[in-house]
Amino acid sequence: MSTDSELDKHLHALFGGLDTGTDFEARLRAHLRTESQADAAGRALRAQHQERDRYRKEQLELTSWRRSAVRLLTLDTLGISFLLVVAVAMAWPHIGRDVVDISRQYGPYIATLLGLLIAAVPIVGMWSERTRSSIRLL
Amino acid sequence: MLIDARVLELVRAERRDEAIGLLLPAFRRRVFGLAYSLLRNRDAAEDVTQDVFIKIWRALPHFDGRASLSTWIYAITRNASLSALRARRPQSSLSDPEAMDAADAVDPAPSADAMAERAALQRLVDQLPPKQRQVVMLFYMEQQSHEEVATMLAMPVGTVKTLLHRARATLSAAAGNVRANA
Repeated sequence: MSTDSELDKHLHALFGGLDTGTDFEARLRAHLRTESQADAAGRALRAQHQERDRYRKEQLELTSWRRSAVRLLTLDTLGISFLLVVAVAMAWPHIGRDVVDISRQYGPYIATLLGLLIAAVPIVGMWSERTRSSIRLL
Repeated sequence: MLIDARVLELVRAERRDEAIGLLLPAFRRRVFGLAYSLLRNRDAAEDVTQDVFIKIWRALPHFDGRASLSTWIYAITRNASLSALRARRPQSSLSDPEAMDAADAVDPAPSADAMAERAALQRLVDQLPPKQRQVVMLFYMEQQSHEEVATMLAMPVGTVKTLLHRARATLSAAAGNVRANA
């Protein structure tokens, strides 16, 4: 060990062979396989929970939407019916005899049609609102 | 580095196992060497190396390539080694029979003189201050560059050169004394 190059040679001989054992890679790969399986199982479980939560949330939203639709429908129907009754009562004395005859003849049909239209307006409005951000349930 | 780009590409394609397959041959010995230089125990260093690669595998999806792969891996190794050091006191030194086995891998049938000289050198390296000993081990383990050793130990290249120079001077002088006394 008299010269620097000799020292270098000896130090390289001392540390150059340092390495892991022969079964190192096999052990590591076995470890990683176990980790990988645990990881996949964990991800599947997390995805399942997320999906369940999403489904519950969507269901709750849908229920509340139905409730609000029914409430709106009732209020709308009442308000519009009241306005129509007032309008007809005020206009009735000024309507000609022939119009009164026609309305007597087709009255039930006209009333049914009006009822359907009044009921349909809020439903169509709500439906178009919902389809803008459509929900898909499982 | 080419390996960085390739690993990043595999991580983005969610092919972690292939990425580890690339990293293992490139970094196994360096990670082991770094752990061994800090722990000075072969079994503990091997356990830490296993642990480091598992940590790398877990953390790969979060690797964004902003830091270099080697810097990242060496940081994980240093942290894991220091945790292992904290968990136990050093049990063995370079004079371990295990260390001798490792050295024998380079020279499978050393003569009695060579073995005695090697044992003497191991004792001398063992007596070096910790930083100098680590630099010597890592530098000669795979004939690394000063830059690589600096990255491994997270210290400036100039410091590595100074530590190596001092260690060699100490070892040369000590070896000279041993010879003179023999």
